[in-house]
Amino acid sequence: MAEIEKQYYPGKTSVANNRSKHMSNDLEKLREISDEDLTLILGHRSPGSDYPSTHPPLEEMGEPECSIREIVEPTEGAKAGDRIRYAQWVDSMYNAPATPYFRTYHSAINFRAVDPGTLSGRQLVEARERDMEKITKVQLETEMTCPGLAGLRGATVHGHSLRLQEDGVMFDMLDRRRLENGTIVMDKDQQARPIDKKVDLGKPMSEDEAAKRTTIYRADNVPFREDDEVVEWVHRIWEQRTEYGFQPK
Amino acid sequence: MVETASEPDEEYLQIELFPTRLLKPETTQNLLEELSEVDGIIRAFIHGPRLPLSVPSGPATGQDVEHPHRKVIQIGDTAIELSISVGRIRLEITDKDVEKEIESIAERVLPCKYELREGYFIPKESTVTDYAKRGPNADPKRRGLSDPKASEESQVFVLNKPENEDEE
Repeated sequence: MAEIEKQYYPGKTSVANNRSKHMSNDLEKLREISDEDLTLILGHRSPGSDYPSTHPPLEEMGEPECSIREIVEPTEGAKAGDRIRYAQWVDSMYNAPATPYFRTYHSAINFRAVDPGTLSGRQLVEARERDMEKITKVQLETEMTCPGLAGLRGATVHGHSLRLQEDGVMFDMLDRRRLENGTIVMDKDQQARPIDKKVDLGKPMSEDEAAKRTTIYRADNVPFREDDEVVEWVHRIWEQRTEYGFQPK
Repeated sequence: MVETASEPDEEYLQIELFPTRLLKPETTQNLLEELSEVDGIIRAFIHGPRLPLSVPSGPATGQDVEHPHRKVIQIGDTAIELSISVGRIRLEITDKDVEKEIESIAERVLPCKYELREGYFIPKESTVTDYAKRGPNADPKRRGLSDPKASEESQVFVLNKPENEDEE
């Protein structure tokens, strides 16, 4: 992981503070997920197997002379010649801790060789397989994720804008994970293929805790309009990009 | 204007019950069971996100889903297989008193907050598709209750039939 300085976000509310924390990777670890469980739920390879490669290790390849290659050290995955693989997240609009933008900021600022894709209801990150696993593990184990309000969903992501279920869990039409005895268990991988064991993703956050840890401004929690500094900066950015975009010829 | 046989002859009130959470099948069953005993509900329509039998897309296409919310619920003598997670219930009722009765049931049965609003939720007039699919003499009470692409029998259920009426 790259060593970075603290990232700043305007505003003094808990939401603004959480946004800054996500960007700075200054995250509280809330649960432990083993490497084997992570590999199982990502569904790209069998746990314990070697990483399949798309080219030989860089050391064996004999790279051409290039000043940029000398400056930039390759990531572990690139050194080994790993395949590019992805993890895709869905975060509920009902006070999930992260949002697609902040998952992207987190991976793009704190990790190298990543290709995040930010969409309205889902976020995915593509990287060399072992690098991607590293990012996903951080996001899964820390306060960036509530297992009840967010989920790894490779296909059929439907659910982020739906009302929560009666038990407070985000709807998943493919039933990849569910609440059992107070914890969220996942018995399918992110693509909804059944896996051999039930992976325990930990306890979902209570409503109050989710409201405290969220990066979403909501009228029923921390309203955007009450964070004056954020509003001022959003206005400033919009004004400047509009003025820049207006180029009469 | 020429009146077709499918025009309703009475103007009923329409309401929507909108819980703040998606309902479990057990709650849905309790709610619908109680609603089925209220006199004055002409038509009811349940709505929510679909629960497919198999994975519709991606590398796992065709795998069984076995969603725990896809259950058979029993309302009176009628068994209904839920293929959705219920999020709204739209009702056509005879008058305001029925709405009050429905509100008291919602208060008692629902474990979460809800909204109850009046509006226009179930079609009152035939569309061209209705006409093409069901013809000019279609039963106006069944209008707008099922997807035109699906079979009506799997989606429309008649509860509390009048005694002198045969199988609909």
